[in-house]
Amino acid sequence: MLDESRLKKVMGSVLKVDPAAIGDDASIETIRTWDSMRHMSLVLALEDEFGVAIPDDEAASITSYPLVLATMRRLLEER
Amino acid sequence: MTIEKRTAPLEVLADPKATVSAVAGALAEAEELFADAPVVRIGISSNITVDLLGAYLQRHAFVENVRLRVESGGYDDLPGDMERFAAADIGAVLVVLLFDNLLPSFEAQLGTLEDATIVAKREEFRARLELALTRGSAMRTILVTRLHRLSRAVDRAVPDRIARVVADFNAVLDDAAARFPNVTLVDVDNAITAVGAAHAFDWRFYFRGKAPYAVALLDELARNVVAATRAFGGYYRKVLVLDCDNTLWGGVIGEDLLEGIALDPFDYPGNVYWRIQNEVAALERRGVLICLCSKNNAADVDEVLARHPHMVVKDATVVLKIVNWDNKVTNLRRIAVELDVGLDSLVLVDDSAFECEYVRQQLPMVRTIQVPATLSEYPRAFDAVKRLFLAAGLAEESVAKTAQYRQRAVASSTRVAYNSHEDYLHSLGLKVAVSRNAEGRIARISELAMKSNQFNVTTRRYTQAQILDVMRNPDAAVHSFEVSDRFGDAGLTGVVIVLYADAVAMVDTFLMSCRVIGRGVETAVWSHVMAAAERRGATRVRAEYVPTARNALVADFYDRMGLTPCAGAGPTRCYQGELAAIPRAAPAWIEVTDA
Repeated sequence: MLDESRLKKVMGSVLKVDPAAIGDDASIETIRTWDSMRHMSLVLALEDEFGVAIPDDEAASITSYPLVLATMRRLLEER
Repeated sequence: MTIEKRTAPLEVLADPKATVSAVAGALAEAEELFADAPVVRIGISSNITVDLLGAYLQRHAFVENVRLRVESGGYDDLPGDMERFAAADIGAVLVVLLFDNLLPSFEAQLGTLEDATIVAKREEFRARLELALTRGSAMRTILVTRLHRLSRAVDRAVPDRIARVVADFNAVLDDAAARFPNVTLVDVDNAITAVGAAHAFDWRFYFRGKAPYAVALLDELARNVVAATRAFGGYYRKVLVLDCDNTLWGGVIGEDLLEGIALDPFDYPGNVYWRIQNEVAALERRGVLICLCSKNNAADVDEVLARHPHMVVKDATVVLKIVNWDNKVTNLRRIAVELDVGLDSLVLVDDSAFECEYVRQQLPMVRTIQVPATLSEYPRAFDAVKRLFLAAGLAEESVAKTAQYRQRAVASSTRVAYNSHEDYLHSLGLKVAVSRNAEGRIARISELAMKSNQFNVTTRRYTQAQILDVMRNPDAAVHSFEVSDRFGDAGLTGVVIVLYADAVAMVDTFLMSCRVIGRGVETAVWSHVMAAAERRGATRVRAEYVPTARNALVADFYDRMGLTPCAGAGPTRCYQGELAAIPRAAPAWIEVTDA
């Protein structure tokens, strides 16, 4: 079961924003510090934190909070 | 506020098992907590994306009580990065170059590339590197990662083409490290071995975002860099405080006078002190601050520094001189205050048993080393001093090699004395002598026109005969210029060719040798040539930038010189301007004359 607050904490620390500010509308478009370079760091941090391997295509496409959430949920369930 | 180890975020940072996000979070907290602590700045220049490397450098620096600020360079723009970092007064740069990305999938291409193409690429690599390192020559430290392969060898016992070419390119780095005393090479293969090749690379992000290094490798690399530099000189000992009489030279200056002190490199006991002085100067090159602290008349010590022919330690080597009749404890405190360092950063070398003992009692945090009573043991005792400053195993080999090649160029060893790059430039006493149609220099002018690539706005190649034709053309002028400074003469290092038609001065060629880049010479020459054009009756100026694979350096040259780009597309950009409206901003530190 994925702990959303932990997920937001990871995203907040990597993206350098307040985790409380990460809502459903959070995406690479709305968070200024979330650029393509930082995105790679985010994927690495998520993998590291939750012990999963994010597949190649998803690694590039999970560019919003709902997409991150859905992907991490699925990966944790599959584990 | 100083950085205390026992705070929560620093404990997280010191924990080898901390996750990426834990590290990022702890860094943010530590930054806030130690917002008042001094920062050490480092620039990162790379031909790959190494976003997290900055964070991991900060992590390992914090663990060593050093607050690091990381500035990222542009993507694959080493010379440009160096220029920007130097302009921003950043004293340390980490250069991370991935061999496989010197050309797209270079390793895979090697199987089919012609040898000549590879050699040409290597020479281009060399030229770019040297340009960058020249621009960074005033920096304290430039760390360059050694090149390594990304793909695994089929059989490591038999060096394949990749291994051979990587070694060949690494030899370029070795040459550079030998020629530029502030360059230290960092071994990546070692870090790859430490984390395991299987965990070192992330091919997903290599192809998608040119980010081939996995977190584990970045972490290990950062750890190595911080260790190799003692956290960029930020921890352990920083300041070497030297007594003078019978420590820096033999004898007592107040009694033996300038001619009487022992410092002759060919004579005992002077040769022992002279040897020590060379060690001291070498430490200064590695970033150690050198202070003199002596019970003496200040004028006597000044005279030795200024006038003794065998002094290796000079005013420029020394960051602070405390020469008075106060005791050493008072003076050491003063040094710590003036340099804004802790007393625990100081190492004192003194010949007096009394002074050493007094300091040990009063200031136990100062590391005190006494000059041995048996003078021939002094060099070995000084090895202990060196160990206090230099990381164990830190590129000892490259230092030795550097020493072999090192020119005794005063230029770089004096840099600590200047507050800004501009101060430094002022100190150089730069002189530019501009000649017009110097027929006697045609061979050199043509050579420059044939060879210059980087600082060459149009890259038009001219033979000697062609140069002579232009010189004898009444509607043209070939300006050539020689640059010199107080350290010597750089010779004829640049050429400007102007063609005149009616009242228009067309700048056909503007080129300069890389040797003199970064000193504002081009601005001075430009102003001079514009003034000459005006005297000749021109009212307008036209110019072109013709891009080549090598001359991005001058892509904005005419913009900087105050010309206006003309409308129109195409790779060649034309510029124009009214002569009267063009700013004549010759740098104040350059004296321009007509030769």
